[in-house]
Amino acid sequence: MTATNAPAAIGLHGLRKSYGATEVLPALEAELRGGEFTVILGPSGCGKSTLLNCIAGLERLSAGRITIAGREVQEAEPKDRGIAMVFQNYALYPHMSVAGNIGYALKVARVPRAEREARIAAAARIVDLGDYLHRRPSELSGGQRQRVAIARAVVREPQVLLYDEPLSNLDAKLRQDMRMELAGLHRRIGATSVFVTHDQVEAMTLADRIMVLNRGRIEQFATPQEIYHAPATAFVAGFIGAPAMTLLDVAGEGGWLRLSDGTVLARHRHQGAALLGIRPEQVLADPAGVPARVIYREDLGAHSVLTLQLGDGSRLQMAAGPGRPVAASSDIRIALPAGALHLFDPLTGRAFARHPVPSDAMKVQDDAIPS
Amino acid sequence: MKQEIFRARALPWWLCAPQLLVLFLFFYLPIILAFFWAFHLEQPFGGGSQFVGFANFRRVLGSGEFWSSARATLAYMVLASGSSVGTALVLALAADRRLRLSGIARNIFLWPKAVASASIGVIFVFLLNPYLGIPAPLNEIWPGLWNPRTNPLHAYAMLFVANVWSAIPFSFIILLAGLQAIPEELHKAGAIDGAGPWRRLRDIQLPLLTPQLFVVVVLEVADSLSGSFGLIDTMTRGGPGGATNLLVYKIYSDGFKAYDLSGAATQTVILMALVAVVTGAQYLFLERRVRYDR
Ligand SMILES: Nc1ncnc2c1ncn2[C@@H]1O[C@H](COP(=O)(O)OP(=O)(O)OP(=O)(O)O)[C@@H](O)[C@H]1O
Ligand SMILES: [Mg+2]
Repeated sequence: MTATNAPAAIGLHGLRKSYGATEVLPALEAELRGGEFTVILGPSGCGKSTLLNCIAGLERLSAGRITIAGREVQEAEPKDRGIAMVFQNYALYPHMSVAGNIGYALKVARVPRAEREARIAAAARIVDLGDYLHRRPSELSGGQRQRVAIARAVVREPQVLLYDEPLSNLDAKLRQDMRMELAGLHRRIGATSVFVTHDQVEAMTLADRIMVLNRGRIEQFATPQEIYHAPATAFVAGFIGAPAMTLLDVAGEGGWLRLSDGTVLARHRHQGAALLGIRPEQVLADPAGVPARVIYREDLGAHSVLTLQLGDGSRLQMAAGPGRPVAASSDIRIALPAGALHLFDPLTGRAFARHPVPSDAMKVQDDAIPS
Repeated sequence: MKQEIFRARALPWWLCAPQLLVLFLFFYLPIILAFFWAFHLEQPFGGGSQFVGFANFRRVLGSGEFWSSARATLAYMVLASGSSVGTALVLALAADRRLRLSGIARNIFLWPKAVASASIGVIFVFLLNPYLGIPAPLNEIWPGLWNPRTNPLHAYAMLFVANVWSAIPFSFIILLAGLQAIPEELHKAGAIDGAGPWRRLRDIQLPLLTPQLFVVVVLEVADSLSGSFGLIDTMTRGGPGGATNLLVYKIYSDGFKAYDLSGAATQTVILMALVAVVTGAQYLFLERRVRYDR
C-alpha cells in the first residue's frame, strides 16, 4: 500500500502555545518539506509533544497558523487534517482485537466492511502482523503492540504520520529493529513523517532533517550531518553526540585560546571570550600538548571515555581508542586540533563564523607557546 | 515465613473471635432465626413455638397484599437503581471532562455519604412538603399539583429523588475513578481516528468502564431492595394506601406493628432469596459483558 496522496508539506507560522501563564512554544516558525522524515529532538519538557499535538489538532494553538499541503488547518478537527499518530505507550483500545484497533478509524468513517477488511489486512501485512489479527492487545508483546499502533496509523493512508516517542518503551534490541522498519516504512509509503524523540541515535539514523528544540525554541533545523559537524548553538553542541561535545570557557588573544588560568589550549584567531566546543573523539593524545589529569575512565569495549581535568579545574572528555589503557589519576598530554574546534558566543550561545585554519597550525607546538 | 509462630492451632481462632462473634450475632444469627421462624408459628410476646412446615409460606404467598408489595419492590428495584446509577454516571462523565466547577462538585457529591438515609428522608419530606416546602408556591397556584401524601406517583417520585441523592456518592466516586483510569492517550487516539465525544463515549469510555458499572449496578440493586427502609419509614410509611409498602417495609410493619412474627420472618426469607437470585443472575448474565482488559 502506498499513500495515494502527494506528500504534504507542513508549515508552522508564528505557532504559539501557552498553558495559562506558562509559554511552552513561543512563536515557532518552520517549514517541514513534503515526504521528508523530520525528527523533533530535545530534552524532556522542551515542548516536543506539545508541538506534535498542535500539528495533530489535539491541542488548540494560542496563536499562529499551521498549514498542511498548503491548507490552513489550525481550526480543523484532527480527523480532517490528513494525519495519523503513533503514541509512546501505544494507546491501543484494550477492549478491541488487533483488527478492531487497526480498523476503528475506517469503521467510524463508515467504510464498507469488505473494503475495511482488505485494508486492515494490507496494513497488518506492512508491519508483519497478519497472524495476530484476532488477538487482544494484552496478548501481544511491546514490539507487537507498537506495530499494531503503526498499522492503525498507516491504514488511513495519511498524508502526514506523527510519532510521539514510539520506541521509548521498547528494549534496546527491539528499538534498533523497529528503527530499521520505520525507515523502510517511510520509504515505502512516502508520507511526510514527524517523529518526536529525545534519543539522538534515533534522530541521527532516521531523520532527513532534525529540528533541535530547547524550551520551545528551534535551536537548529538541519540535516543530521550539519547538526553533528556544524552545531549552530552551544546547546546543540552539548546535546548531540555520545558523549556530547565538551564546552570550555576560553578567551582568545593573539592567535591563541587560553583557559582562565592562562593555560594555552589551542591555536585560533578568535579575539575575546568564547565557549570552546570539542568532540571527545577529536581530542588527541600528544606528548607535546596540554597537560591534563585523568580523573575518571569509562571502558566501553570499543573505546574508552576519559574525563580529564585541565589546569584551571575545568573538565574535558576524550575518547581513547582500544590501545593501551590509561589508568585513572594519571597525567597525560593532549592536543585540540584546530580543525575540530567550535567556538560559540558565551552570551547568546550562537556559533561564531568558523575561520579557515592554516594547516601548519593544526598542532600546539611546545616551543611556539608564548609565555 | 516461619510456621512455628502459628503452631498454636487455637490462636488464630482467638484472634478472629471478636469479629466472628459480632458477625454471628448480628448477621448469621438473624438469618438462622428468620429461617427458623419461617417454619414455625411464633407467639407475639414469646413463649413457645410450633412447627408448621410450609404453612407460613402458603399463607404469605396466598395474600394479594404480598404480591402487590412484591411487584412494587421489583419496579422500585429497577427504577431506583437505574436512576441512581444513571445520574451518578452522568455526573461522573461531566466531572471527568473537567467541566466548569467540577473540582468543587467532586468534593460536594461525596457529602451525602455522611448522612444516614433516615436523615435524608426527613430532610426531603420537609423540602418537598406540599404546603411548606419548595413546591408550596406552585400548589397555591394549581391546588393538588403536588401531593405525595395522596398521590402514589408523587410518593414514588419523592422516594426516587431522595434515593438518587443518597446513592450518588458511592456510585459517583467509583465511576469517576474508573473513568480517570482510562488513559488520556485513548481519547487522543480516538479523536485522531475520527470519533467525536459521543462516539468515544460509546466505543471507548463505556466499554472500559464496564467493571465499575457492574460493581455499582450490583450493589445499587441489592441496596434498593433492602436499603429503602430508612427512606420509606421517614417519608411515606408505606403510603399512600400501601402504594409504597415495599417488602422491607411490609416486613417491618407486619412484624412489629401487626405482631405477625412468623409472617414477617417468612417474607424476610423470601426477600433474602430474591436478593440472592437477582445478584446471582447479574453475575451470571451481566458479568460476561464486562471487559477486564485494560
Ligand atoms: N496540560 C498542560 N498544562 C500545563 N502545562 C503543560 C501541559 N502539558 C504540558 N505542559 C508543560 O509544557 C512543557 C512541555 O511539555 P511536553 O509534554 O510538550 O514536553 P516534551 O518535550 O514532550 O517532554 P517529554 O520528552 O518528557 O515527553 C512542560 O514543561 C510541561 O510541564
Ligand atoms: Mg512528550
